Amino acid sequence: MLEITDLHAHYGLSHVLQGVTLTGAAGEVVSLFGRNGVGKTTIIKTIAGWVRPTSGSIRLDGADIGGRPADRICRMGLGIVPEDRRIFPGLSVLENLELGLHQTAGRSRSEKREALDRVLERFPRLKERRAQMGTTLSGGEQQMLAMARVMVGAPRVLLIDEPTEGLAPMIVDEIFGIITTLRDQGLLILLVEQNVHRAIAVTSRFYAIERGQVVFTGSAANADDRERLFGTIAV
Amino acid sequence: MRSPMAEFLDYTQFVLAPQVLNGLSLGVAVILMALGLTIIFGLLDVINMAHGEFYAIGAFLALALGALGLNFWILLALVPLLMVPLGWLTERALIQRVFHSRERHILTLLLTFGFGMILEDVLKLVFGANTQKPPMPITGGTEILGVFLPNYRLFLILFGAALILAVWVAVFRTRLGAMVRAAAYDKDMASSLGVPVRAVYSGTFAFGVALAGLSGVLLAPIYSVFPTMGRDFILMAFTVVIVGGMGSIQGAVVAGILLTQVQAISSLYISPVWTDPLVFGIMVMVLMVRPQGLFGRLGNA
Repeated sequence: MLEITDLHAHYGLSHVLQGVTLTGAAGEVVSLFGRNGVGKTTIIKTIAGWVRPTSGSIRLDGADIGGRPADRICRMGLGIVPEDRRIFPGLSVLENLELGLHQTAGRSRSEKREALDRVLERFPRLKERRAQMGTTLSGGEQQMLAMARVMVGAPRVLLIDEPTEGLAPMIVDEIFGIITTLRDQGLLILLVEQNVHRAIAVTSRFYAIERGQVVFTGSAANADDRERLFGTIAV
Repeated sequence: MRSPMAEFLDYTQFVLAPQVLNGLSLGVAVILMALGLTIIFGLLDVINMAHGEFYAIGAFLALALGALGLNFWILLALVPLLMVPLGWLTERALIQRVFHSRERHILTLLLTFGFGMILEDVLKLVFGANTQKPPMPITGGTEILGVFLPNYRLFLILFGAALILAVWVAVFRTRLGAMVRAAAYDKDMASSLGVPVRAVYSGTFAFGVALAGLSGVLLAPIYSVFPTMGRDFILMAFTVVIVGGMGSIQGAVVAGILLTQVQAISSLYISPVWTDPLVFGIMVMVLMVRPQGLFGRLGNA
C-alpha cells in the first residue's frame, strides 16, 4: 500500500534522510523508533508533502506521490496527525473539524454532515466544546481534536507523530485505543512514538532509525527483534 | 450677545459635525483599501506595492465603462468582478514565481512596485495624464439632525460600512473564511487537510485587488480620476495598516476611522498642510511604542 524506496531529503546542506526504504500494508501499525533528531519526523513530513525529497520514491497504491503538493497527497487518502497537533488558533473546535472535510472531494452536503456527526459522537468532549476556540482545550483534548479532524476525512493511510507526548496516562490509553480501532478498520498507520513499550503493543512491524537511515527492521511479535530494538535505542 | 452654549451648538452643527462626516466618508474608503492590503499581507506575507494602481484602474474602468453608457450601480458590481482575473493573474504570474525563494519579501515588494509603475504608465498611455471627473451618481443633499450632508457622501458611508461588515463576516463567520485563516496561520497543516492553498492564495489576492478597484469606483465621483491618483491615497492606506497592525482586520477598521478623523478634525485648527505630518507622526509614534500595531495579525488568533 505504502512503498518508500531509497528516500533522501535535505534541509539546506544537511543530509537528513539518507536512503530510507520502508513499506506498510492496510490494517497494520508500522512504527518508526529512534532517538530525537534522527529523522523520524522528517520521514513523516516528506511523505505528507511538507518536505521535498531530493531523490527516491514514495508510492501510495502504486502512484508516486513524492514531491507532490500536500493537498493532492491528502486527497489521495493520506492523513496526518502531526507533532505538536497543529490546532489552528482563532478557529473554534467545530471550525477545526470542518476543515477536515476538505480531505475528500465530491461528498454531498448530507455525507459531510454525517461524517462530522459521526466524529462528534465518537468524541463527546469535543462535541461539548465545539464552540470553544481549539487552542483553549487541554493538551489531551487538543490531541483528540487533531485525531478527530483527520478522521472526518476517512483516510486510508494515517501518519501519526508523537501523539502521547506530555499527556496523562488515561489519555495515552485512549489514544492507543483509537489507534487500535483505526488499524482494525483496515487503515495503515505509520507511527512515531517515544513510548516504545506502549507503541510496540499495537505495532506489527517496526523500523529503527539512526542518522537518517534504517538500521534494522523487525517484527513486534518476535522477542529477539524487540530485544535488539531496546538495545539499539537504549530505553 | 449670544450665549456660549448657543455658539458651541452652532459650531458643532455647522463646523465640527460636517467635518466629522466628511472624514467618515473618506474613512470607509481608506478602510476598504487597507482591508485589501492587510488581508493580502496577513495571508501571503506580501506587501502589495501596486495596490494604489489597482485602485486607479478601478476608477478608470468606471470612467471608461460609464462613458459607454453603463450606469453607476452596474459598475459597482461589474468593476470588482473585472478586477478579480487581474488580481488572480498577478498573483499567479508575479507572486507565485518568487514565493518560495528565500528573498521573497524583498522580491515581492520590488515586483509589485515595478508592476505598479507599469500599470500607472499604461493608464497614462490609454487615458492621458489629464484629470477627469465622472458625473456624480447621486445628487442633492440631506439634513440629518440639522447637519447638511451631500447624498453621495451619505451613501458612501452607509455602503462602505456595510461592505466592511460583509468582509468581516466573510472572514470570521464563514467556512471559506475559516479556510483562509487556517491557511494564513499554518499552510502545511491546512494543505494536508486538503485545502487548496495555492488557489486560496490567488483567490485572496484577487479579492484584495477587487476591494481596491471598488474603492476606485466609489471615490472617482468625489476625487478626480488621473493615472497617479493611487499614490497619495495608498500612503494613507499603508499608514492605516501599519498603525492597526499588519494583517489585522479589526486594526484596519479602528486605525482607519481614527486616522481619518484626526486628519479631518485637526484641519479645522491647523493648516491642512500639517495634517499629513500629524498622521504620519502618529504612525512613527505607534511604531516606536507598539511596533506590531494596535492589533494582532490575521490567523494569529
